[in-house]
Amino acid sequence: MKVLVAEDDTLSRVLLERTLQRAGYEVTSVDNGERALKELQKEEAPRLVLLDWVMPEKDGVDVCRAVRDIKGHAYTYLILISSKERKEDIVQGLESGADDYLTKPIDGDELKARLRAGERILELEDRLVEAREDMRFRATHDLLTSLWNRGVIVELLSRDVTRARRENSCTAVMLCDLDHFKSVNDHHGHGGGDDVLREVSRRLHASVRSYDLVGRYGGEEFLVVLNKCEPASAITRAENLRNAIAARPIMAAGKPMTVTMSVGVALSTDFVSGDAGELIQQADMALYAAKGAGRNSVRMARPNTLQNADSDLKTGLRGDEASPVLSGRDTGCS
Amino acid sequence: MKDGRKNEPEVLRIRSEPATQDWNVQELLERVEGDRRLMRELLVMFRDENQRTMETVRVSMEERDLARASRAAHAMKGMLKNLAMGATAEIASSLEAAARNGLLSESEELFGKLEQALAQILPQVKAQLIEAQV
Repeated sequence: MKVLVAEDDTLSRVLLERTLQRAGYEVTSVDNGERALKELQKEEAPRLVLLDWVMPEKDGVDVCRAVRDIKGHAYTYLILISSKERKEDIVQGLESGADDYLTKPIDGDELKARLRAGERILELEDRLVEAREDMRFRATHDLLTSLWNRGVIVELLSRDVTRARRENSCTAVMLCDLDHFKSVNDHHGHGGGDDVLREVSRRLHASVRSYDLVGRYGGEEFLVVLNKCEPASAITRAENLRNAIAARPIMAAGKPMTVTMSVGVALSTDFVSGDAGELIQQADMALYAAKGAGRNSVRMARPNTLQNADSDLKTGLRGDEASPVLSGRDTGCS
Repeated sequence: MKDGRKNEPEVLRIRSEPATQDWNVQELLERVEGDRRLMRELLVMFRDENQRTMETVRVSMEERDLARASRAAHAMKGMLKNLAMGATAEIASSLEAAARNGLLSESEELFGKLEQALAQILPQVKAQLIEAQV
């Protein structure tokens, strides 16, 4: 465990360092409050701190206050050290944000016992943070694939579309559906189906940029959101996704199998008045067309979709006769 | 002044018995958990540092900078307490408080007492260092 010692008196500092090192602590020491604060603002800073009260630059009480003002860091356990023993001094020290108080000269056994108490508090805090993070993850992610769950990916898409409109950029929505997934479950059981869903998720995630979003939209449906996507490259990006699945077999229940995916694409710049819901709907219709075109392919929704959707879905899409964007062939799925 | 409090009774607490009787070497040895090498290191530090710190107190009082004198006395007190030199630490503590409260003549008197106490304790420190070398 790392400990920071801030003590301006060399003799006291050396004594503390040796006592702590002998007890197995990894000690960093500084000789004034300003340096202590700098150490505590670093990544991976010690979380157990012994602070002398009277120090140049910033005293121990100042450091306590400043540490408590730092947001976002894990909790730091602060022990003030001083020769002040009056009740009001102790109260002032604790009120400044210190967790504990030791008086000089320091008894080695007492020091170690108080540090162990500090470690217990930090462990408790770590467990609480871990439990909170776990709950947060469960509330926002699909537990099988670890992708964003449906509610969150739709919400994130909604924010992204708003941002794209404000910044005059394009967000591409890609609704991806595994072809013949039912037969995967029929032939390999649900365990095999889960293997496929996990691997598809991993490949989709690996195929996009760190700031793009991938979520599980439904059973075997995935929603991919590419922000700041050049409209001209959207089809290529969708093709990359499709190919990431089809190019290599996936191990399902210990056996390799070919899996393919159809993709429907909608661009926010093509539906300028539409919200996230409409973009998903457009991408869904494009996906429907991709399925109709033989699966393992990509289709893009066009702006006139809404006008023609009722009469003929295909006319609302970048149709076969006019479209340069169709790709792929149905490689089938076992 | 950060910890300044006027007219504290601790200013008047000046021990009259010789400080040297109060050096508890056994307590120091326990504090360093029997590590005689560390004890020697600390004593060498004290031997080298105490004169410089006392000089800071003296010059600060001459310049009527009692806040600085108080800080130096505080440092001296810390060293003495760590080395289990309790009575001498008490004098340094009184000097720290007197200087902090701006009491020049008391500070000068306590400074003299602290010098005397150190004059008695330093030979013992040097003897310990020689003993530790053997």
